[in-house]
Amino acid sequence: MTDFLDNFLDDYFAEAEEHLAVIRRALLTLEHSVGQRRIDGGVLEELFRSFHSLKGIAGMVDHRETEALAHELESYLRALREGDVILTTGGMDLLIKGAGALEASIAARRAKGPARDTGVVVEEIQSLITRDGTSQPAAKPESRGRGNWLCTFTPSPALIARGVNVDVVRSRLREIGEIITAAPMVNAQGSVAFQFEVSAAVSDELIERWQPDGLHFTPIAPGGAPGARAGADDRSGSILSSGHYVRVDLARLDELMRMIGNLVILRSRLTDTLARSERHMPPGQYREVQDDAEAIERELRELREGVMRIRLVPVGEIFRRMPFVVRDLARDSGRSVNVVLSGQDTKIDKFLVERMMDPVLHLVRNAVSHGIETPVERGAAGKPPAATIRLSASASGETVVIEIADDGRGIDVDKVTARAKQAGLPVPSGTIDAVALLELISAPGFSTRDASDRVSGRGFGMNVVRETLQELGGTMQVETHPGEGTRFIIELPLTLAIAAAMLARVGDQIFAVPQAAVREVAEFEAASIRAMQGAEVVEFRGAPLPVVRLSTALNVAPSDATRFHAFIIGSGAAAVGLLVDRIVGHREIVVRTTADPLIRVEGVSGATDLGDGRAVLILDAGAIARQARDRHGRRGLTVVRGIA
Amino acid sequence: MLARRFMSHILIVDDSQTIRRMVKASLAPLGVEFIEASSGLEAIERLAVGSIQLMVLDLNMPDMHGLEVLGFVRANQKFQQLPILVLTTRDDAASRTAAMQAGATAYLTKPFTPQTLLGEARGLLERTVEGTR
Repeated sequence: MTDFLDNFLDDYFAEAEEHLAVIRRALLTLEHSVGQRRIDGGVLEELFRSFHSLKGIAGMVDHRETEALAHELESYLRALREGDVILTTGGMDLLIKGAGALEASIAARRAKGPARDTGVVVEEIQSLITRDGTSQPAAKPESRGRGNWLCTFTPSPALIARGVNVDVVRSRLREIGEIITAAPMVNAQGSVAFQFEVSAAVSDELIERWQPDGLHFTPIAPGGAPGARAGADDRSGSILSSGHYVRVDLARLDELMRMIGNLVILRSRLTDTLARSERHMPPGQYREVQDDAEAIERELRELREGVMRIRLVPVGEIFRRMPFVVRDLARDSGRSVNVVLSGQDTKIDKFLVERMMDPVLHLVRNAVSHGIETPVERGAAGKPPAATIRLSASASGETVVIEIADDGRGIDVDKVTARAKQAGLPVPSGTIDAVALLELISAPGFSTRDASDRVSGRGFGMNVVRETLQELGGTMQVETHPGEGTRFIIELPLTLAIAAAMLARVGDQIFAVPQAAVREVAEFEAASIRAMQGAEVVEFRGAPLPVVRLSTALNVAPSDATRFHAFIIGSGAAAVGLLVDRIVGHREIVVRTTADPLIRVEGVSGATDLGDGRAVLILDAGAIARQARDRHGRRGLTVVRGIA
Repeated sequence: MLARRFMSHILIVDDSQTIRRMVKASLAPLGVEFIEASSGLEAIERLAVGSIQLMVLDLNMPDMHGLEVLGFVRANQKFQQLPILVLTTRDDAASRTAAMQAGATAYLTKPFTPQTLLGEARGLLERTVEGTR
């Protein structure tokens, strides 16, 4: 049996992860129903089914602790569903604790670690069902207008003899309103009944008239059913095993992307060969081949986008964990925090979701540990006692923007500089702006940890956040205002592997700059570059723009060009222009990251093959701009105001 | 041997891919072909368009409960002789009774061992073969 089971463990873990994701999402929705007698039926059903399915598959792979715990959680859900217990804060806490214990138990099994003892949680749930039990009848609704109703029809031979069957019931319900869902059920007596969720105007008279026909109506809270359906719709586009979906191993998609990458390179080679062949071919024939090559390029782009879309999953996968983390952390540290999520449906590469989980977790933990004041402090500052952490995501072209904002005390720049000096880190003199501040807190060795922080000991600091982002080709900015809060803005490419890039010539070399990093392209006369306080600037849109000659930054022999093209990186006061001799083209490039620390160079994020056998370095424009700001000081870049 | 007489088709209805794979692996010695459905509606569709000799049916599924599937299948003359093996985590007497009343031929609870499932399925298929000879 053990050999048999071993074949299915990976399936079990993958499917368990899907159920846990559904559970987390449903628990967040359910939290709003604490203390209410009527709970959103769709959410309860979803939770119930997930615990039930998890129990089933855990049992099959002989994972007893998980099976037992899922069984208890299922029992509690059943009691809630049947109205035997009311959802209390304690119950909600226990559901969350139970879900966490399930996750830990499955993770322990996956890591082949010692089994987690779930017995304590199981007992807690058992006693909760007994304690929260109620025999009070459900409260009667005051309004009986058009609303959502749960209509239960219990068929019997006598009713059928009188011509009342499930089809007749369905027709009757359609006459008075809209049927939202229809499902059979087994009632407590073991007989089959049908449950219809309807949106209809149900009068007292109707309820009485239909009662002898075996129909029973219960009102449900508005928005319940549509919410449940929206949850189901959420799944569209994601990779699930149910219905019309297939589950695909990410490695296979990587392989597919690699093959497409090779095709992109071959396509580039074709362009070059074609350009060289033009003079040897009759013009008509050349045009035909040229048209075909362009058609291949278009198809290739669609193929790439198609595969990319398969890899995209909602960023909500990262977000949904956060309320639980915040909840625990806030409780332990005596803070009151609301988490507001938005843009959860923004899609991002699955790989990025996995890699971004820890950085976002870290920023959220930091917000609770360092950013948010105690309710008393907040009261004294005239703020509401409960703080708010906002997590939002949005897509903008080829990038995804993730924001983590809190309304806490803001980053204390003086404290940060003092700590940095203490740690022996170089601290720039003069005003510390947002860019410098981020540099300081992201420096290796920097820590504002207090011994009591739960964050400490996790080996994950801001420098790891920054490194992860660099590796993923992303950028981070911070905005902080004393007493008002802090906002981290993360920009990530939608996907890795293949990116649109601009090719530029510097001296006798060609470099690629990912288009996602470039805000704008401009052209300047060499004569218009002026030296200002040791740095070079040009006049751009009525303001001085600091510029960096890439030839200097990369130690490439400079050319004697009289005009420069510039990539404008960053926006507002953080904008920097990277000067190149000439922008020579626009290509889709296959990104090969240089993850090897031995060959990693600041300012170079990877390499690509243009198809003609030439390897071209891909520049990390953000890092070069950052270095430039460091080198030249930060005149005109102050973002944080009111901080000395 | 059963498989030599004609190729049987077994319809496996379960919303869990893991369970469907396990059922297939357990029944592989029968040398039959498998058709999978992950929901009740899909099961009915597959049944309607294909030639199925045995259905392995889960009860708790998202769109349609297994009992409803049973009800539909048994109400249809064409499928009255189809052996249906209900495979569920519900191990209470009420669920078992409800399933048998709704027309299940056999009732097996999860977790199952491959041997039990194989034995049960083999028995059901052989009975059908004898019945149709």
